[in-house]
Amino acid sequence: MKFALEWIDEFLASPPPADRARALLDQAGLPVESVEDGAARGGPVFDVEITPNRPDAMSHRGLAKEIAAMSGTGLAAGGDVPAAPGAGAGGGEPVESSASVTIEVPRLCRRFGALLLRGISDAPASERVRARLAAIGAKSINAAVDATNYALWGIGQPLHAFDFDKLPGGVVVVRKARRGEKLVTLDGVERRLEPSDVVVADAHRPISLAGIMGGLETAVTEKTRHVLLEAAWWDPAAIRRTARRLAMHTDASHRFERGADIAAIPEALSLAANRILESAGGALARGLLDVRGTPVKARRAVLRLDRLRILSGDAGLTIEFARDALARLGFQPKVRGRRISVEIPSARLDVSIEDDLVEEVLRVYGYDRLPSRLPPATVPGRHLEPRRIVEESLSDGAVAAGLYETIGYPFVDRAVSERPFALWLEAAGMGEPLTLANPLDENRAALRATLLPGLLDALSANARHGRPDAALFEVGRAFGRKDGDPEDPPSLESRRFAFALTGAARTHWSAQPSGRSFDFYDAKGLIERVLEPWIAPEDLVWKPAEMEGFARGAAAWVETAVGVLGVVGLVSATEREKRSLPEAAFVGELLVDRIPTLPRQARFAPYSSFPPIDADLSFSHPRELSWEELAAFLSGRDLSALESFRVADRYEGPGVPAGRTKTTVRLTFRSKERTLSQEEVNRETDRLAAALREQFGVVF
Amino acid sequence: MSDKQDPGDSPPVSPLPSAGPSDPVASVLERLRAAIAGGVTSRAEFERLKGQFLGREKGLVPTLFAGVRDLPPAERAGFGARANAAKREIEETIGRLSQEISRRESETRERAAAVDVTLPGRRPRTGAHHPLTIVRRRIEEIFLRMGYSIADGPELENDFYNFEALNFPPEHPARDAQDTFFVERPAKSPLLLRTHTSPVQVREMRLRGAPLRMIMPGRVYRKDEVDATHSPIFHQVEALVVDRGISMADLKGTVETFLSELFGPGTRARFIPTFFPFVEPGADIHMSCIFCKGAGCAKCKGSGWIEIMGAGCVHPSVLAGSGIDPETYTGFAFGGGIDRLALLLYGFPDLRLLFEGDERFLAQYSGKLLGDPS
Repeated sequence: MKFALEWIDEFLASPPPADRARALLDQAGLPVESVEDGAARGGPVFDVEITPNRPDAMSHRGLAKEIAAMSGTGLAAGGDVPAAPGAGAGGGEPVESSASVTIEVPRLCRRFGALLLRGISDAPASERVRARLAAIGAKSINAAVDATNYALWGIGQPLHAFDFDKLPGGVVVVRKARRGEKLVTLDGVERRLEPSDVVVADAHRPISLAGIMGGLETAVTEKTRHVLLEAAWWDPAAIRRTARRLAMHTDASHRFERGADIAAIPEALSLAANRILESAGGALARGLLDVRGTPVKARRAVLRLDRLRILSGDAGLTIEFARDALARLGFQPKVRGRRISVEIPSARLDVSIEDDLVEEVLRVYGYDRLPSRLPPATVPGRHLEPRRIVEESLSDGAVAAGLYETIGYPFVDRAVSERPFALWLEAAGMGEPLTLANPLDENRAALRATLLPGLLDALSANARHGRPDAALFEVGRAFGRKDGDPEDPPSLESRRFAFALTGAARTHWSAQPSGRSFDFYDAKGLIERVLEPWIAPEDLVWKPAEMEGFARGAAAWVETAVGVLGVVGLVSATEREKRSLPEAAFVGELLVDRIPTLPRQARFAPYSSFPPIDADLSFSHPRELSWEELAAFLSGRDLSALESFRVADRYEGPGVPAGRTKTTVRLTFRSKERTLSQEEVNRETDRLAAALREQFGVVF
Repeated sequence: MSDKQDPGDSPPVSPLPSAGPSDPVASVLERLRAAIAGGVTSRAEFERLKGQFLGREKGLVPTLFAGVRDLPPAERAGFGARANAAKREIEETIGRLSQEISRRESETRERAAAVDVTLPGRRPRTGAHHPLTIVRRRIEEIFLRMGYSIADGPELENDFYNFEALNFPPEHPARDAQDTFFVERPAKSPLLLRTHTSPVQVREMRLRGAPLRMIMPGRVYRKDEVDATHSPIFHQVEALVVDRGISMADLKGTVETFLSELFGPGTRARFIPTFFPFVEPGADIHMSCIFCKGAGCAKCKGSGWIEIMGAGCVHPSVLAGSGIDPETYTGFAFGGGIDRLALLLYGFPDLRLLFEGDERFLAQYSGKLLGDPS
């Protein structure tokens, strides 16, 4: 918000230099964002950041009060604000004889003040008014309108000027809008009103949207002869509801939503009236129409010295300092022992409790003068959420495996991007999508239920930028668990770890042939590796998975005893082509919530000091015979001294009949007590070969 | 004794030891020296030499011993001793020569296989944490050392935790500063994406009571149009301490310590009154500009200060609403954006880069210290 220093200075008994004024406003918590050095505008213009709790500071006098309080120098008497007009002000006919105000909503309009100016001419505002408004970037229109803006920016009270001739019988009613009523506001827009809107009406129809914007029909024009000036106090919540509903935001609504000073009404009217009279002539009707709604109670609060010292941490703060600080801010403090009782100024709607008074005293004291210390030592810190530890470990595992961590936006078009993974969402326990009521992009209104499409898009972006060999992972949340309870938001979330691999597994000039593509086993192995601290690889069960998002026969469910833990596989051709991804593109996703949070314990396992003997068994078998079955069979044989076995090779092609696969198993024999002989090993291997032949009909 | 023979006095070697005036033992030794002096460079030459002296049949050494028979018995013992000494010497010399030849051979082999040490190494492939993770973990580490625990909360929240319990009344303009994404799912308290990490304060206070000391890092959402400095998702971390006698002074000391740990010693902090509904008194924290050390530059708009965090003493209504007696306990909270800290520390130009998943961006930060912006 912009303010001219020259205008602020008018209210100060001894105006400080610009630098000092700026520093004092910083101290007050009204930081000056920038200064326009406006020689042409009669001095510097401050752009001040004013938090929503300080509507009282949104005027030149408001800022002057803060500068005066911070510096302790006091305000000038009056400035150009004339004394508030009493019943005896003005001349001629009393205003009551021609105008009347009725408040039908006394809680929403606590005070409605009005002055009547007769016989004005169409004239511009005075040079000074126009120059000041121009300095802060406000437009000049005519004497009446400029005068209301001048009062708004001068002392913070919004006003409205009506063309009095257009108010039949001078009747003004403050009421709720009636169903079906409409009002064309000053901006020319026809507004459909709701019964919750507060309006100023004449005898028949609304003439102003209370506290927000006046009506076009009753606006002051070059033909206006008599003006009714309005200054009122409106309920902040009511103004805000209507302004939001109608998407309107005006200088007036900005202040009324935050709370205006009910006591400033008479002087604001007087200030604006004087500005009109000085340039447009005319005469003020006698008296102020001052109609009250529900009274606003005087507000009091108490500050204890002990509380001030505890919250500030400054034992040097005295009751005298606190009293003086509060007095400078207009709180009329009274000291009783170690307590100060105050009367809260009507403009300071932000102050209500003791701790608010602490802040007031500390503002005057200066936060920078407070001491600085550390709270005493305490017990060591730790992660309070065990799943965060799991997430961090998955993340470390993926980085060690060569993947880059990414973060994606969680806004998706569920129907398009997530549909290919619908079976996965079902297995993951996801229900109906959660959608945003007010999305940034209507096409991405749903919250993601899986991280996979986002990762695929990131792969695609990398491919477009010349990096077809990308390896990415993300740790994040998906939303919309079927078993979640909307009354307990965390229960709707699902923690995820997901990754994507494309292109060459490793590229180096010395690799011959140059690199190899990622394959299914890279993706599977990555899952085994990142889970290893939590789940032994042999406790994972892998089952073929089929869904639209994955290539047929190249995807798997990962399961544990508690059910599906994740999915992994080769991205289907459709999904790859959509995003111009290379053929070898693998993705996988894990449900972090289903990973045990108790890490596996490391224990020493003794090992043999005798040499091993390896023996290979090569045999062909139908493709359908899975390694899982073979391995289970091998594990179940009671072979003496068999230490371990593994797949050494798989082969299909010339020499192996169609539909069959040749598997080479490498058996490692080793005794814990002695060196084995080749004859023993051969005997065991032959026994195993015979058993395999018998069980599966394999051919050696 | 014959050991003292001067080789220069030796007569020319002959293939066979003769019973001439010259000593056959010395003569054999002399021939060996001469052969070696002549240069034995290849394995073949070496094998020839070895055969010439030590060959079982016709080697000079066996021949020497064979000559013992022809000597008078009185000389045999002396000759035998000298011949044995010579044999040892010859065997040792040839042994050394063998090693030397092997050494040279392997040297030649290795030279032939020399690598160009300037070609690129095959670095073990490692990935990288996201820069926001790196900064977050750095912050977590600083606080863990100061005895803070790390709390976690939901990104999907409701109006109660995100606003009401934090002293944002309904229909209050303070809500305008936090443009909220609302979620369409009926609930008593409307569902939304949390606009700040502060609701975790409320959840933790209600769960654990006082005293407590923790930080709350996490992702937050605001309905901001996407541009270089605005993103609908970003990340915050805030600290909360509730205990007896916690004050603004504790807040100041903690903030100063944290900033010095993160940005380096000498980083100063300035506190300016401000308004957040859930603290009282409230403060904005400005730190001395890390680019110009406070002298004033373009990054700090010439002020020497950068606005970095919000802070304050926990509002008594927030404490009371969370079941903590504000007369017994007081607390402070402060927090700021991790994305912004990362931007300051690393100097990338645009927040959008954080969320594009481009490896060229993601690969730049791992395994290095946080940048020193100066």
